[in-house]
Amino acid sequence: MKQLKLLALIIIPLGIIIAAMPADKVKHSRLTPDELLQEAGAGVQFISPDVVADMLVRKDPSLKLIDVRTPEEFESFSLPGAINVPLSNLLSDEYSDQLNQDAYMNVFYSNGSVYANQAWMITRQLGYENNFVLEGGLNYWFGNILSPATPSQTSPDEEFARYDFRKSAAAALGGGGVVSTDAAAPAPKAVKPPVTAKAKKKPSGGC
Amino acid sequence: MGPLAPNEIISENTNFLFAFFIGIAFGWVLESSGFSSSRKLAGIFYGYDAVVLKVFFTAALTAMLGMLFMSMFGWLDLDLVYVNPTYLTSAIAGGVVMGVGFIMGGFCPGTSFCGAAIGKIDAMVFVGGLFIGVYGFAFTYGWWEKLYLARYLGEPKISETLGISDGLFGLLMILAALGMFVVAEWAEKKFAREEY
Repeated sequence: MKQLKLLALIIIPLGIIIAAMPADKVKHSRLTPDELLQEAGAGVQFISPDVVADMLVRKDPSLKLIDVRTPEEFESFSLPGAINVPLSNLLSDEYSDQLNQDAYMNVFYSNGSVYANQAWMITRQLGYENNFVLEGGLNYWFGNILSPATPSQTSPDEEFARYDFRKSAAAALGGGGVVSTDAAAPAPKAVKPPVTAKAKKKPSGGC
Repeated sequence: MGPLAPNEIISENTNFLFAFFIGIAFGWVLESSGFSSSRKLAGIFYGYDAVVLKVFFTAALTAMLGMLFMSMFGWLDLDLVYVNPTYLTSAIAGGVVMGVGFIMGGFCPGTSFCGAAIGKIDAMVFVGGLFIGVYGFAFTYGWWEKLYLARYLGEPKISETLGISDGLFGLLMILAALGMFVVAEWAEKKFAREEY
């Protein structure tokens, strides 16, 4: 009986501790292959370049761009504020703090979306959250965000709105090598105040 | 981190090596707790000796608390720990066969090897019966297959079925076990036998 009391004295408090723990803390699971397949199939990891461009323009502090290309490629061009985590070094301890966190929205990007997607797969399988993939990668970014194609006359309003947004985002983000078509874009901005002054005169004179 | 083998921290072969040593330790603990005596084991059914209940429930509680705490510390992913799939019909049928065999033979499969290892003839006969049963089942599997695979429930956990957390179920389990220990000690006094 004495032994029983001693046993009870030890295990009841342990049981109370374990019962008081929040359930989600006790369970933290890695994804099963099925779950990973489901997530990858649904494309939940992709984040639209327009959203990223908008966050970049607004200088959203929660956005963290992660370039998974090689350091050489990163040196030659990278998105503003991006850090370089080459895919081959993804698992080194150096980066685990940055990949496994819940403060930032990490967005992987590469030239296309294959490498970025691989990085997402690996980190997701490790159970990391808040990692995303830039949809279309840098190729799409160059072709559509930095040099958006002018919509045709018959396009719906949304397309024009998107075009306007992309053009202004491209201007704000410094355009890259494709600025030629938008060379005028930064200039009017600087000249804008005089223009508005002129505009004021115009109506008064014209009418 | 854990479990070690599914996470490929140790290889399957290393896993078997661990199992070998743990198995030897398990056998040794069984023997030194008196589990090689069929009279002692059968005592649980007559009330004069509840060592079976005490040892196995203490082991279960220890393992349960260890796993829950390791999971809490992030050392063990409980979702990756193997859970026996439940086939309800065969679980009930198997439980009845096992229980009847336990009362009649005075051993359960593990303890019969324990007894055989220290040279008990009744245990050796029991092990022989065990092999007859295993091979008999295997060779006549076709007859039983339907019953064997009936009412498959997946891998349910009682805590999930009841909708409570694993930890709370752990606490209830501890309280239930302590209750049983009290009853067992009472029974041991009430149905005490001089010598067995």
